[in-house]
Amino acid sequence: MSDHSGKITVGNLLSEKEKEWDLQLAAGGQGLDNHFIVTSDINRPGMALAGYTGVFLRERIQIVGSTELTYFATLSNKTASGTVRRLFGLGPPCFIVTKGLDLPSIWLEEAEHHSLPVLRTTMDTTPFIHRLCAYLDYRLAPENHIHGDLVDVFGVGLLITGESGIGKSECALDLVDRGHRLVADDAVKVIRRGTGILMGYSAAKTSFLAHHIEIRGVGIVDVYGLYGIRAIRVQKRVEVEVQLVHRKQGMDYERVGLEEQLSEILGVRIPRVTIPVVPGKNLALVLEVIAKNHVLKVFGYHPAKVFNKELMRLMNKSPRIDPFITDDQE
Amino acid sequence: MRRCEVVIRKAVGLHARPAADFVRKAERFKSKVRLAKDGVWVNGKSILSILTLAAENGSVVVLEVKGEDEKEAFEALKAKLEDDT
Repeated sequence: MSDHSGKITVGNLLSEKEKEWDLQLAAGGQGLDNHFIVTSDINRPGMALAGYTGVFLRERIQIVGSTELTYFATLSNKTASGTVRRLFGLGPPCFIVTKGLDLPSIWLEEAEHHSLPVLRTTMDTTPFIHRLCAYLDYRLAPENHIHGDLVDVFGVGLLITGESGIGKSECALDLVDRGHRLVADDAVKVIRRGTGILMGYSAAKTSFLAHHIEIRGVGIVDVYGLYGIRAIRVQKRVEVEVQLVHRKQGMDYERVGLEEQLSEILGVRIPRVTIPVVPGKNLALVLEVIAKNHVLKVFGYHPAKVFNKELMRLMNKSPRIDPFITDDQE
Repeated sequence: MRRCEVVIRKAVGLHARPAADFVRKAERFKSKVRLAKDGVWVNGKSILSILTLAAENGSVVVLEVKGEDEKEAFEALKAKLEDDT
């Protein structure tokens, strides 16, 4: 799995997407490793070609399509060379020409002169931009490593946290045994997609090393080997944090479910449920209920609120007596 | 807080057996123990976390110990990492 350090080189982009997007280096190969892409936004340099460089988004990849090149062909030789020189002087990370179009030789000369990479793809402009932005959004996403387990429970990504030895791994194994799917034990890599979505992966470097659980006293357990393909997942959205804590006298735990705690991971807030751990407690069952409750809430039904509303209705009005009870002569 | 860089000198790297040794030692101390390789930090008291680093022979690992018994813990754990068996 790739790292998410917030920037990649143009060389990284080329080597990772060369085949898939039919990308080639047209010129400026010397600059592949020292030109960095730091944003998933792109720019089309039409305005700069027309002479306006008052606002030029130089940190963005510059996409050159047939609009730009058709306009460029209308310029006189003298204007054209000045324009290209100015454009390369602005120092964007790279240019990418779409539709397999050929660039005028002056572009290639400037690219070599500035050691500024120019790439070419045979893809059409709009589909290429969509693919490029989606890929960069993933590749440049901020990431964090979290000590915990990530399990898909009824389609809800539960991030189980808590101090070492509290029973996170055993809880995850119990959930897998009940038919749920493990994403990661012990070390979860979380990245932020877009503005509000957290995606979780195993922090292990290969998929073979992922999907192992450490059970104290037994050692490393291979979940895939024991439960098969249905028991594992490569990635899952992180939706609820379940924090396991040692039960302490005098500490408050949620008793009704009206108050909601939130956790903030990479600036994204997700609900957090704190569960006191006591011997003999069926944690897997509690986690299943947390997942199902979350789905109910997403569907607009908040069990604790509905319960309380009904209670308040009862207290404010004369009691409604269920005829089933009054008519029952038994 | 104590921190140092250690070059792994174990013929096949920091594999399951030495990692288990390290974790057993780390768990005897109250201090928080973290390890890092290539900028990725993991919990030093968890065997699987340490194994995810896949620290091969010759790689550089950062050891960080923080807590009331950090002095003894740091010395003991540093020695474990530097150990070439």
